[in-house]
Amino acid sequence: MDPETFISKYEPRKMVAISLAVFAVAFAILGFTYINTGSPVRLGVEFTGGTIVTVPIIESEGELAAKLAGYPVLDLRDVGHRYMVQIGPMSDADYRELSAMITSEYRDPEIKYMGPVYSARLMEQAKTYIPLSFLFMAVVIFVIFRTPFVAMTVIFAAFSDIVIAAACMTVVGVSLSMGTVAALLMLIGYSVDSNILLNMRVFKRRGKIEDKIAGAFRTGLAMTTTTLSAVVALFLVATFSYLVSPAFTQINILFDISIVLIFGITAGLMNTWVMNSNALRWYLARPKKAPARRQKR
Amino acid sequence: MTEITRDPRVIVFFAAVFASLLILVPMPSEDGLQTRLKFGLDLEGGSWLQLKLQGAIIQPQVDPIKILEKQFGDAFGAPVEVEWRQATTEYHITVEGRVTRAQVDNLGYPQATVTPRGEATRISIATSPIGVMVNFLQTSLDSDVRYVGPDPISFEVRSDVTREALEALLAEVGGTLAPGEAGFSEGVTEDTVDETKQILDRKLNRLGLADIKVRVVDNKFILIDLAGVSVTDAQEIVGKPGVFEIRIQTKGNESMHVLYGSEIVDVSLPSGDRAGNWGVPFTLSEEGARAFQKAAIDTGATKNRMDHEVSMHLDNDLIFSAPLAQDLAASLEVAPMRSMIAQVGPDSQRAHELYIHLREGALPVNVEIIGSGQVTAALGEQFKKQVLIAGILALLAAGFMVFYRYRRPKIVVPLVATSFSEVLMMLAIAALLNWQLDLAALAGLIVVVGTGIDHLVIITDELLYEGKMPSGKVYLARLSSAFGIIMAAAATMIVAMLPLFGMGFGAFKSFALITIAGVLIGVLIARPAYGRIIGRIMQEDRQ
Repeated sequence: MDPETFISKYEPRKMVAISLAVFAVAFAILGFTYINTGSPVRLGVEFTGGTIVTVPIIESEGELAAKLAGYPVLDLRDVGHRYMVQIGPMSDADYRELSAMITSEYRDPEIKYMGPVYSARLMEQAKTYIPLSFLFMAVVIFVIFRTPFVAMTVIFAAFSDIVIAAACMTVVGVSLSMGTVAALLMLIGYSVDSNILLNMRVFKRRGKIEDKIAGAFRTGLAMTTTTLSAVVALFLVATFSYLVSPAFTQINILFDISIVLIFGITAGLMNTWVMNSNALRWYLARPKKAPARRQKR
Repeated sequence: MTEITRDPRVIVFFAAVFASLLILVPMPSEDGLQTRLKFGLDLEGGSWLQLKLQGAIIQPQVDPIKILEKQFGDAFGAPVEVEWRQATTEYHITVEGRVTRAQVDNLGYPQATVTPRGEATRISIATSPIGVMVNFLQTSLDSDVRYVGPDPISFEVRSDVTREALEALLAEVGGTLAPGEAGFSEGVTEDTVDETKQILDRKLNRLGLADIKVRVVDNKFILIDLAGVSVTDAQEIVGKPGVFEIRIQTKGNESMHVLYGSEIVDVSLPSGDRAGNWGVPFTLSEEGARAFQKAAIDTGATKNRMDHEVSMHLDNDLIFSAPLAQDLAASLEVAPMRSMIAQVGPDSQRAHELYIHLREGALPVNVEIIGSGQVTAALGEQFKKQVLIAGILALLAAGFMVFYRYRRPKIVVPLVATSFSEVLMMLAIAALLNWQLDLAALAGLIVVVGTGIDHLVIITDELLYEGKMPSGKVYLARLSSAFGIIMAAAATMIVAMLPLFGMGFGAFKSFALITIAGVLIGVLIARPAYGRIIGRIMQEDRQ
């Protein structure tokens, strides 16, 4: 389907409703997780406190599990030529013993220990800073757009991007880590890109609204697919490069960042071109009121 | 339109790219060719420790007289009268019945004079109200307590104490903590943090490690990065005190062991006398004092002090050596001495160093390891390779998408080249400002390149509107509207990144820095030049 048809064929209200429904499902997933676990997304070891160890594979999973029998192991998995083990909170003495054992028995181990003080502090910061970041973004959007309706749609689209990305994380079992937090913050910054494009095109150019939106949609699609392809490349290397060389392994932090961005950017496509473009069509076509005020610079 | 080569935007762009290449070109160094890029521990290999200094700054509101009444009343189970003599800075305490010196000693007042007065006993303690409070807190919390300052009166408690525990303690003597954050705040004073940091620095420096970073956050966290050390060793080093030893010269170059640092029970801050000679007073345990006396007599140091110098060693390095003072030598002949002063002469700096060495038995406060970790150099090397591959693939993938859209090498080549130049400039800034490129930062770089291409697409599409290249005024108007869009996008990206500077001790600081740098470089340098160049190319195309 070419962009013109896609933009003008459907009734605006229906399209907005579809996007809102997706948002509602995502929101419900987060709400459900919140009720069950006390947190809208699964928290990673960085936020709960604990230890992550990765070691080269020199034995079966069972043998490694037996070796770690004395520790509160939460998860043990093959991440490509290496095992990654997540271990829950333990005493300082236990941790020292564990790290000594790991460093002496394995070549090139990777160890990360997050004590309760560290994770509690990180949790506090995440709770303060993520909303703060969102607030800053909202202020910038209001300064740029001035028209409350337009600003609200852009801000809501960003919010929906993040909610959908977070819900997808929950569904595929990615937990909140520093990497995913960074990616969510990046989404806050990124999600407004194509919305700004859309609004500038619609308000600054002359012509039929559907044509202007279709033009913006073509550009937007090109933009988003380039970013998406770069992020997908990152994701593939982080996740599957171990299949190519025995020296490679999965890189957690790159996986975390890229997968959240893939979810969020895809959600952004919908929220901009299905929801907001149609919201604008409805807004500009609504009866009785005079045409929308001209945007100021 | 002015000639493209004279356009300031284009000149600035090419100058910046050229400068970036100069910065990034590998230079010969001791270890062969080296770029100026600095990589993080997760790529270079090494370990990190995150320590919390246990302690609190408190402002108690309490009457010292009530403290003494309670302390002495409880100790002797008899009515007590306390009187403060400001003129002589003395407390006079009258207790019914007989009280011995030793009992008063036990309460933490060894300097008291005890005189019987009829049925009662009169105890005079030469101390200030502050001294009473410090003593009270010290003995009841079993922790080191320092007086911080008078306005308002505040103290530093050097242990893991809670507000509730302190309030309960003060309530017993009719006192309380000042309300709010001022009354009790976790953390220690800047001096204490500095002292702890210096001690750690010295400990680590003695290991001869090349690249050590010790940072302080919020006056209560110390972060240490150690390249090339395993996390187990790093924890050992920080947790274990150095071995401090006192020896006495026997003859010539030989000396005998006298005692270890564990026998030193207290070290006071260095003090200078009127002649400007500095010394560090320290106190030995009773056992240590006996060992010292025996060694001094056995070696003959008490008789011939100049030939039998007393030396101090830290992890077998000589840090101090001097003969016994004449009066000390004489006193040691008859009895063990607990208090001594290590005299270093007129150098106050040296006195301070010796003070730190003497204290090396322990850090001034307890530290708790709240986070640590390691990546080995070999693993880091692999990560580096993988990220490089990811970067190349990402650029190729994005380039392919751009080609798919425009199908014109005249647009695609400058677009991808501009994007690549942004990568160069970001790396150059990182090298210039000594940013540590870790895995997260490199991931940020790759994503920023992706969003950068977005903006180049916006510019290209804006100019190409309706499939043809406008000229003159329309071109400029289009260009400025494209910049309106990308400026707004850049502004939101920058504000969204700000929180990452503070989170998790700045674990993602370099991610945020590289993202912001990338956005700014793109908006201020690369994209304006791209707008001009692509405009020129398309105009030529049209003719």
